[in-house]
Formats: sequence, structure tokens, C-alpha cells
Amino acid sequence: MSRRPIIQMIGIEKIYPDGQYALRGVDFEVFEGEIHGILGENGAGKTTLMRILYGEIRPTRGRIFVRGREVRFSGPWDAIREGIGMVYQHFSLIPSFTVRENLYLSMLSMNKKIRREDIDEIAREYGEMIGFKISLDEVVEDLPIGVQQKIEILKTLMRGARILILDEPTSVLSPLETVELFKILRRLKESGYTIIYITHKLREIKGLTDRVTIMRRGRVVSVVETDKVSEEELAKMMIGSEEFVFKRSEVKRKEKTEKRRILEIRGVSVVDDKGVEKVREVYLEIFNGEILGLAGVQGNGQKELAEAIAGIKKVSRGRIFFNGLDITDLDVRERYRLGISYVPDSRGEALIYNMNLVENFILTSLERYMNSLKIIDWRRVRKDLLKAVERFDIKTRSLDLDVRFLSGGNQQKLIIAREFSRDPKLLIVSEPTHGLDIMSTIYVRDLLRKFRDSGRGVLLISSDLDEIYELSDRIAVINRGRIVITGDPKELPPEKIGYYIGI
Amino acid sequence: MISDIIVVSSLALTSMTPILLGSVGEIFTEKSGVVNIGIEGIFLLSALISLIITFVTEDPYLGLFTGFLIGAFAGFIHAVFAVYLKSDQIIVGVGFNMLAYGATVLMMVSIWQAHGASPTLPTKTYVISIPLGRDVITIHPLSIMAIGLAILFWWILEKTSLGLKIRACGEDPKSAEASGVNVYLMRIIATTVGGGLAGLGGAFLTVSWIGQFTRNISAGRGFIALANVAFSNWNPLTAILGALIFGIFDVLALYVPIKLSSLYGIVFTTQNNLFLTIPYLATIIIVMIISRRIKMPRSLGTPYIKE
Ligand SMILES: Nc1ncnc2c1ncn2[C@@H]1O[C@H](COP(=O)(O)OP(=O)(O)O)[C@@H](O)[C@H]1O
Ligand SMILES: [Mg+2]
Repeated sequence: MSRRPIIQMIGIEKIYPDGQYALRGVDFEVFEGEIHGILGENGAGKTTLMRILYGEIRPTRGRIFVRGREVRFSGPWDAIREGIGMVYQHFSLIPSFTVRENLYLSMLSMNKKIRREDIDEIAREYGEMIGFKISLDEVVEDLPIGVQQKIEILKTLMRGARILILDEPTSVLSPLETVELFKILRRLKESGYTIIYITHKLREIKGLTDRVTIMRRGRVVSVVETDKVSEEELAKMMIGSEEFVFKRSEVKRKEKTEKRRILEIRGVSVVDDKGVEKVREVYLEIFNGEILGLAGVQGNGQKELAEAIAGIKKVSRGRIFFNGLDITDLDVRERYRLGISYVPDSRGEALIYNMNLVENFILTSLERYMNSLKIIDWRRVRKDLLKAVERFDIKTRSLDLDVRFLSGGNQQKLIIAREFSRDPKLLIVSEPTHGLDIMSTIYVRDLLRKFRDSGRGVLLISSDLDEIYELSDRIAVINRGRIVITGDPKELPPEKIGYYIGI
Repeated sequence: MISDIIVVSSLALTSMTPILLGSVGEIFTEKSGVVNIGIEGIFLLSALISLIITFVTEDPYLGLFTGFLIGAFAGFIHAVFAVYLKSDQIIVGVGFNMLAYGATVLMMVSIWQAHGASPTLPTKTYVISIPLGRDVITIHPLSIMAIGLAILFWWILEKTSLGLKIRACGEDPKSAEASGVNVYLMRIIATTVGGGLAGLGGAFLTVSWIGQFTRNISAGRGFIALANVAFSNWNPLTAILGALIFGIFDVLALYVPIKLSSLYGIVFTTQNNLFLTIPYLATIIIVMIISRRIKMPRSLGTPYIKE
């Protein structure tokens, strides 16, 4: 590895057409021949940055240099010509085409005169380099994911890429396939290739990369040599506890009168669709008038746990009690009716973007607005929505606007307004301020506090440590599906939490 | 009887021609991921304008060529709506069909002051005539050419790099773009060329076949061409068969009542309309039975949005 920069991106900003401010002035540099990691939570802007480097989208502002020469890409084909190749998070192979057709298609952009027959020879040559053999007549969609990924890498190499970008390549792989992938990447590095490796997994950064750029909320927070930092330090940089302010003491609230347990989770395990145990024997309680903050790096079982409480996922072991009632076998609807409300982390899951505010507003509470003939009383819906729009300060031109035209903050407020209007007893929220601007963030956090102060319970799932500290009355840390520690925020300083998140 | 079969076949070949050209054009278009249901409208516009050009220049071949250009232009406009403005392609197509119908009737009335039909051309394109007993069979070179074009476009789609790129855009535009294919450009090319083929089919109606323009001359053939696309499973070679089946039923619907009345003296008046529905019914039924929709481009009709 030399210390000669092969890629320099300076002052990159990106505002998506829908107004999402994804990159807020990013400087990024990669040395020739290194494996360079980009670490950051979901939504940090990693993919956006790489799509810009690959010419797929254009930056709103900023300059890009490849081997010291400024470039301006109008499409991936320009980036390919500069020797930049991208291996996508979701592969860019055409599923219904054969391997040969796919390879041929991608080679065409390099060499218009190439013939289908030439592909075999080139594929074999590069296949040997990375130790991979495949029959070119297979249809891509019939092949296992791990193999598809190797084809994707092969394809990128065949196009003459010297700089490989891999975007969360292991998110779809089994552990064994991951090991094989790492072998390939190390071999490539030995042959002089430069690799940019995107992930939010600390272990992969430690195990693979030479240097790492850490991103958070559209900014680069740090660039470090990997072997000079611990996983724990990386976790802290990624999640952002150095900005941590102990705001909790400012919040005045009524002393808890009686401590009543709303939710009790007893030894719950959850298995995901692939048969992997994502939640392992979790014990947790939530009391009324309390926010329990569940901290951890995304993908450690938070989502599965939340879905198990909401009734979306079945538990494989354990029981769940709500106000003393065993709800383990109740379905989503019945749990909703008892007063459990769930706001998932992806707004796309909670809203239907192509429907307007009114329709979205009643999605989870249709029954309340239906008369005996199952006809919706739209007048009443509008009246309630109008009140909610006012109370939650949702900014919209009209109630009949499709929600995709709302800003992220207003979408989030709409979801919260909807759930609050159902008057739940327990609110499960996941990443409630993710992607929101500062004002919306403050507003949403205030809402959660008020909700808590009215004597109800909140399970706050957040990978943002600042948020956890700002809101939580108690903190629990989840790591690989287990609750590794619970306690009072005053007794759990960020360093300690960072340690538990990282182990 | 033998002579009946030969005569019906030659007429069917003629009737097949516009359907086949429209179908092949639409297959080419749809393979790129764009659906253009405006074929009917293209038929109408090209039929009329190529006729006008032929009247003015007295050159039917220039008429045919103009028909191609009109279709290509309509295809290009559709592509701009579909690709850049990301409009609903079905609605654009429906709108275009209605516009074309209205515009052609209006032009016909204002040019010839005729409400039902235009005057007849003095010269049409060349026809191969073969005397057969009392009958004369006529074969249009363009019919043969249409079959040739179907084979050519099959070859382009399946065997050339351009075809591979176009198909990639229809299957998975995001991946295609990532492979270095210019999706917008491919969709524009395919839709324009596809429209051009349909335009040729429309021009054939007036300049080669009928020799005059009548109100709604295409009579739903554009929609039959669309149905034939699904029937053929997006394969131009199978589309030849589908178009021929329609052509045969189209001819039989006219031929059978005439034959019956000449043989048995039965005269069909209102019932005649019933016969005329045969080709359409037959097409629908056959499409229903056979179409499997496996080869339908997976991103058909969805705009490609980059960001
Ligand atoms: N096509 C898009 N349109 C609008 N916003 C987007 C788009 N893609 C990503 N974003 C937003 O930009 C931010 C950064 O996203 P992304 O680059 O995908 O992050 P990461 O890859 O680090 O998870 C997120 O808030 C995300 O919601
Ligand atoms: Mg990403």
C-alpha cells in the first residue's frame, strides 16, 4: 500500500430531489492498494457517497479527483473508464439473463467489438485470479446469492476495474460465504487492487481494512488507521457519543406515584426467516411513566424484538405479558386493541407513500372510523386529522397530498400523530428521529417525553447514543440478540455502553 | 376449394401485414421496458398522412416512407413522455389514440369535405399478381418484407449487442445502467424504431392495400397487434404466426358470407356484422388459451427513476 491517493472527493454535498440532505460536505480520500473501510449507521450517507463516486448520481456540490486528475462523471460508464467498479448491495445482475449474457452486457460498455465467444476466455482468466469457477450458461436467478456476488465481482474485474467498491457485501451472505469473500478481497489486494469496503459492522472493519472513514448523518467524523483503534472506539465514533450532552436532568417531571409494570418479556427468543436466531432469551420490563432506551448497533435483534412485542413476528420461545395479561398468542390486531403501538424505523414501512395524509392517517385504526355498514366516515377522519395536524405541527399544503411529498420530519410526525390518536398504553418506537432535521428531532423527542409523562410506557430503540441518553429513564444494551446490560443512565457512562455495544 | 384456400391465404397475408408490423414494433418497444398502446393511433395517423403525401407526390413509396417517419415520430414523443417525464404510459397511449382518431377525421373532412371516406388513389404500391383460373391472387411485397422484418428484429433482439442492451433495460433498468447501458437512450431508440414499424403498417393500409382512407380505417387492428404481443410471448417469430391467424379469420369473416351467398343465395345483411366480430373473438380466445406471459419484460411500463 502506498500513501498516494488514488481517489479524492472534496466538499461533496448531496441533496436528493425530494429534499433529503444526504451528504453535508464530505471529504474522502483513498490510497492506492489499500482496503479502505467506510463505517456508518444506516442512513449515514455511505451508499450515496459511493453512488456519486461511481457516477450513478451527481453531487449537488463538490469535486472528485481520480489519480490526481479532476473528473466529472455523467454516468457509471465514465467511472468504469477510470477503472472504478461497484459491487452492489443489491446485485446489478439481470436475473433472467445467463451468466454469459450478463458478462457480455457489461463488457460491451468497455469494448463495443467484443463477441459473445470472447467472454469465456476472459472470465476464465479472471476467475482463476480470484479462485472462482462457474458455468456461464447458468441463469443468474437460479444461483445462490454467494455465487451471484462472485459473478458480480468477476464482472467488475473483467471490465478492468482497479478500484472496487463493495457496498455492505456481507448483508446477504452466510458466515461461510463471508469468509470466502474476505479471502477473495485479500487476494485482490495482494494483486495491487484498491478496495473500498462499506459496512456498519465493526468486526468486518477490524478484520479486513487498512484504514477506515467513519460517517455519521451525512458527515465524515473521523479517518483512522484501523489497527490503531479498538472496536469500542469505532462504535463510539459511529454512534456519536462524543457529542453527548446530559440533557436528561433538565426535564422536569412528576414523581412516579406507583410503579406498575406494563410490559414484561420473559425469556423470549425470535428466529428470522432464514432460521437464524436473532433474539436470544431476552428478559425485559417496562414500567408506566418510563422510557426504556434500547441501545445497540443496528441489526443486533432490535427489529425482531420489536416485531415480537407488536405481534408481527412469532416468538420461538418465552412469553410476553402486557398489563399482567399473557399476550404471546394474540395477533397484531388484538395487541393493537389492547394499546400496544409500534412505529418501525423505516418510514416506508409505516406509510404508504402513494396515498394521501387522510388515507395514511386511518391505516392502523380503520375500525374506529367505520360505521356498522363498514363504511368509512371520512368527515370524522378529516376532523381528527385536522386537529392532529395542528397539534403536531405537521406542515403540509393539503390533507389530500400524497405523503411522499412530505419531508421526512413531517412524515414522522404524521406517523406519531396517528399512533398517538389511538391512545396507546405502550409505544414502541424505532429510530424515531432518523434522518430528521434538528427542529423536527427536538419536537419528536418532546412528544415522546410528554407521552411518558402522561404515565404511559415507551420502548425506545435507537442506535443514536445521544438520543438514548437524552430520553431514557433506563437503558438496556442489545448485542447479537442478547440484552447484555440494563441500568440507570447515571451509572452507565457512554464509555461503558460503548464497550457493551462493541463486544 | 383449392383455389378458395389459395385466395384466402393470399388475402390473409395482406391482412396480416399491418398487424405483424405493429406487433414487431411493439415487441421491440416493450423489450426495452416501455409499453406503447398507441399503435392504433399510429396506424390511423400514418395511414392518412401517407395517403396525403402519395396524392401530392404521386409516389406511393414516398408515402410508405412518410408513414414510417410519422410512426417513428409518434414513438419518439411517447418515449419522451415515458422516459423523461415518467408519465403513466397507458394514459399517454390512450390519450394519443383518442387524439389520433379525432385528428384524422378532422383532417379528412377539411381536406376532402368527406365524412366517411377519402377519394381513391390512382396508384398504389406494386403488387405481385398471379392469375389463377378465374381469380387473380395478389401478394404485396411489403407482406413478405414484414415477415423478413420480424425475423430481422428477432435476430437483433436475440443475437446482437444492441438487442441484449435493450432487453436488459426491460428486465432490470437499474442493473442495466450499472452495467454501463444508457437506459434512457435504449428506451428512446426502441420506442422510436418500434413506432416506425407501426407507422409502416399504418401506411400499408392506405397506400398499398385499400387505396383510400376511411374513418377509423384501422378498426382496432392496433389493439389486435397489442394482443398479439402477449400471444407471441414477446417473440417476433411467434408474432408472425399470431398475425397470420388473425389475418385468416379477418379474411374468412368477409369471404365466408360472400361465398355462402354465391353458393346458396343466402343474403346476409345485419348478420354480416356478426361475422366481422369473428377475427376479434378468435384472437381473444386464442390469446386467453395460449398466452403464458413468462417472457414479459419484468420492468414493463415502469419508468426508470435514477435518484
Ligand atoms: N434515492 C433517494 N432519495 C431520497 N433520499 C434518499 C435516497 N437514497 C438515500 N436517501 C437518504 O439519504 C440518506 C443517506 O442514505 P444512504 O446513502 O443510503 O445511507 P447508508 O448507505 O449509509 O445507509 C438517508 O437519510 C436516506 O433516507
Ligand atoms: Mg447503504
